[in-house]
Amino acid sequence: MEDKIIEVNFGPQHPSTHGVLRIKVKLDGEIIVEAQPIIGYLHRNAEKLAEMGAYPKGMVYIDRLDYVAALNMELGHVLSIENLMDVQVPERALWIRILMVELNRIASHLIWLGTHGLDMGMLTPFFYCFRERERILRIFDEITGSRLLYNYFAIGGVYSDVTPKSIEMIKEWTEDFVDKLEEIQAILGKSYIYVSRTRGVGKLSPEDVLSYGVTGPMQRASGIKRDLRKDSPYLFYEKINFEIPTRTEGDVYARFLVRVEEMRQSARIVKQVLEKLPQGDFYNKKYSKPMLVRLKATGESYVPTESPKGEFGIYLIGDGSSIPYRVRIRSPSFANLSSIPTMLKGYKIADLTAAVSSADPVFGEVDR
Amino acid sequence: MSDNILVTTLDEALKWGTGKSLWPFTFGLACCAIEMMSAMGSDYDWARFGSDVFRDSPRHSDLMIVSGTVTKKMAPRIRRLYDQMAFPKFVISMGACASAGGPYVRGYSVVDGVDQVVPVDVYVFGCPPRPEALIQALKMLQDRIVAGKVKH
Amino acid sequence: MIQIESESSTKNGTRIVYVSKDNVLPFLKEKKEEGFDTLLMVSGVDYKDHLEVIYHLLSSTNNSRLIVKAKTDDEVESVTSLWKGANWHERETWDLVGIKFKNHPNLTRILLAEGWVGHPLRKNYPMEKKQFVNLAEDGEDRVSFENTEGY
Repeated sequence: MEDKIIEVNFGPQHPSTHGVLRIKVKLDGEIIVEAQPIIGYLHRNAEKLAEMGAYPKGMVYIDRLDYVAALNMELGHVLSIENLMDVQVPERALWIRILMVELNRIASHLIWLGTHGLDMGMLTPFFYCFRERERILRIFDEITGSRLLYNYFAIGGVYSDVTPKSIEMIKEWTEDFVDKLEEIQAILGKSYIYVSRTRGVGKLSPEDVLSYGVTGPMQRASGIKRDLRKDSPYLFYEKINFEIPTRTEGDVYARFLVRVEEMRQSARIVKQVLEKLPQGDFYNKKYSKPMLVRLKATGESYVPTESPKGEFGIYLIGDGSSIPYRVRIRSPSFANLSSIPTMLKGYKIADLTAAVSSADPVFGEVDR
Repeated sequence: MSDNILVTTLDEALKWGTGKSLWPFTFGLACCAIEMMSAMGSDYDWARFGSDVFRDSPRHSDLMIVSGTVTKKMAPRIRRLYDQMAFPKFVISMGACASAGGPYVRGYSVVDGVDQVVPVDVYVFGCPPRPEALIQALKMLQDRIVAGKVKH
Repeated sequence: MIQIESESSTKNGTRIVYVSKDNVLPFLKEKKEEGFDTLLMVSGVDYKDHLEVIYHLLSSTNNSRLIVKAKTDDEVESVTSLWKGANWHERETWDLVGIKFKNHPNLTRILLAEGWVGHPLRKNYPMEKKQFVNLAEDGEDRVSFENTEGY
């Protein structure tokens, strides 16, 4: 039989693309010779729309970038604006932000874990993860009044205070979350099928990681110890004890272990924040809500933050009016996903879903 | 004996059967897809209403839930997927984006409403709608199918 | 050493360096050898009378950042030979802002459909002029200005 290259089209509708990714795969037998991702099926012009309205109005579009971790997106936006306008934020608001962002990081990783299990042919982790995630969403519902997209962080603070009832809910949640996580990890990590399908698959070397600009858990799974919460601390991360999990293998299994360990560390952070949460204002009284849309700014600002996917930041250029001149979103999923051709080359077609889902792409953020 | 026998027409039986066994299509577009997953997840569990079998192929399913923003690049593909579904087929437009363009309606690359692409049976508002709202939409669709009000 | 035209900084103290557009590739190469091993993003800004291309660099070893800017009319040398990740970022900048990158391996549209007219992040992009996309016979996108031709 002669050698023949077959071209297979994967997506844009496929249950394990986590949205609307399309990949053109060239196959020699069942070995992937070349993989070419095609994106843009969820391009919602967030940058253009954010450049058409006042600074706080951009929040609507920033919220919907990485819709499973909306508070992390809001944090990047709000820090960038506050930096540009030299806004002072009360201490309590900053602690509330850490609390919310870490809870949302866990919710995001839980969604990833559930759908990743689904991609690997296991339905049970999906239900376990969603059960745990719903408990976090109920806390968010209590504090922000919304389940998925919050618009909660405001310039100069947060929109509503953390109530005693929600503190009770969080305390109750911290008591047994780590045990539940153990249970979920065991379903996947102790399954022979899962481990043999993921170990040694979708490898990225540290050189490739740097060359593609890959950040976040994917970078840490390839042996590069970088976390912006430690390297350039924002909010009060320097006052909190936590560790950065790293692995050196750089495969799908290592990414799974890194993300699970990150959830444990985030739960640790939440516990510490509850102890340290000070009393006081939850927003800067100088910035009343109706005047937020009239705030003017000049200059440039880019504040990098660690979102669940990697380095996220918003590069703002102000021209002295109340509307930003340029809003550029640095989205980690976009850079992480661009490494897919390297991640897939030489592996079998059955490894494709494992490798793609291990990148944790969220298409609101990839396509913007 | 007479208590266990129900006399009906074939037409009525078919409508009842179609309505109570809708097979949704696994078709996530954007943010609303996460709430759709929540609706099928542990807490909301919409398998209770007889539509738990999420199918991965359009040819196996009869309910399309358009969950998220429909972009101009995606719209022709949605039409193609809809054309591939077998009759009878139903569409729920979930969320503000799918129903009318939502917050992105002023942009350049978003279709203002999926009803320009495929016929819609039930609209759900919200950005994103809560899972309860989606379950209510499903119940509405089922009631309308059983009552014979959905025509294709 | 390559001539730096001018310098400024962002509000949180990141250095911004302006170079001429012909010096972009040699300057970035020099910086990469100095330890700026990650290219975070490439972006462009339309200042109405000229365009500006912006590179965000990061050194993962000593955690320092640098922003490199160059004024351009519409063309600049591609940096895909230095960082593989520049490929998609440059395609996006071409797609949305309309800056061409010389010697780029595959400079096509990435987010919008192939055949789209104009670059939306230009300040003079006509937002009211709608474009419609449909599938051609070969499965690729076809763009037109007629609303009967697509969605």
